[in-house]
Amino acid sequence: MKLLPTACPACNSQLKAKSLICTHCNTEIQGEYELPVLTRLSPDDQSFILEFIKSSGSLKEMARLLRLSYPTVRNRLDEIIERLKKTENPEDNNGKENP
Amino acid sequence: MNEIVNNTKTLPRRSISQWLFNPFSFVAGYQALFLGLGIMLISALFGFLGNTHFDGVLDVHKGLEAPLWLFLAEGIINWMSIAMPFFFFGLIVSTSSLRIIDVFGTQALSRWPYLITSIVMLPKATERFGIYLLSRFTSMAASVTMSYTDMLIFIFALLVTVIMTVWTVALMYKAYVVSCNIKGARAIVTFIVSLIGAEALSKLSILLLFEHL
Repeated sequence: MKLLPTACPACNSQLKAKSLICTHCNTEIQGEYELPVLTRLSPDDQSFILEFIKSSGSLKEMARLLRLSYPTVRNRLDEIIERLKKTENPEDNNGKENP
Repeated sequence: MNEIVNNTKTLPRRSISQWLFNPFSFVAGYQALFLGLGIMLISALFGFLGNTHFDGVLDVHKGLEAPLWLFLAEGIINWMSIAMPFFFFGLIVSTSSLRIIDVFGTQALSRWPYLITSIVMLPKATERFGIYLLSRFTSMAASVTMSYTDMLIFIFALLVTVIMTVWTVALMYKAYVVSCNIKGARAIVTFIVSLIGAEALSKLSILLLFEHL
């Protein structure tokens, strides 16, 4: 499956979805849609969050599954939280156009 | 649950350099603590057999015969002296919710290269060379006779000790960074301050211990 591009290859700005299509009946919707915050993370980060949720939010369980130490897993989670905060910061939203 | 274990993309590769310089990516908490304490105990035994004193966080000296408990106490004091300031700085500087067991556990394990030092310091030649050097510097009559073999063994032991000390410092830094999640300049500055403080604290504590012998 192709990876969802989230940043512009030319200027590195945040990309938005312009068109959505139903592959069943070919209905196509045009518009300008913000990508959900989680999709803006790297595939590795998304995979980590997915496993974290599957582990009921247990860092100990994550450490066991990934065969990493507890602080390493906790540090990774902290890094992702930081990235999420940066993604959500108001500067990004200033450029948001009318819904 | 098994997906992630079988998914080689997400599992970390454990290279030799990671095992040598950052084992804390894989080992921390109680596991690191028990491993570290076990190695500390064996190092103390070798230290006792070779009269090698670890009389400071980064100190290795050939010294007088002493009871086994003193060598053990030296190891414990050195470990506590460095782990306490790291935990203190971790609480102040880090934004992560750190665990005391990770800080103390990884610091205990980070001292494992000193096990190698305690082994290379076992030969009596290192002691003889130490006495010989002391007699040269203090203008006292040498009470030992030196051979080339003694000198070679001493130089080898000295080189290994220097390498092991540098390695230990590198491991202590990694253990600090991983267990407290501190990076960049803040990590370097607090590490240096902690190390200097720990060196002074451990030296003083061990000196007091020697006085009560």
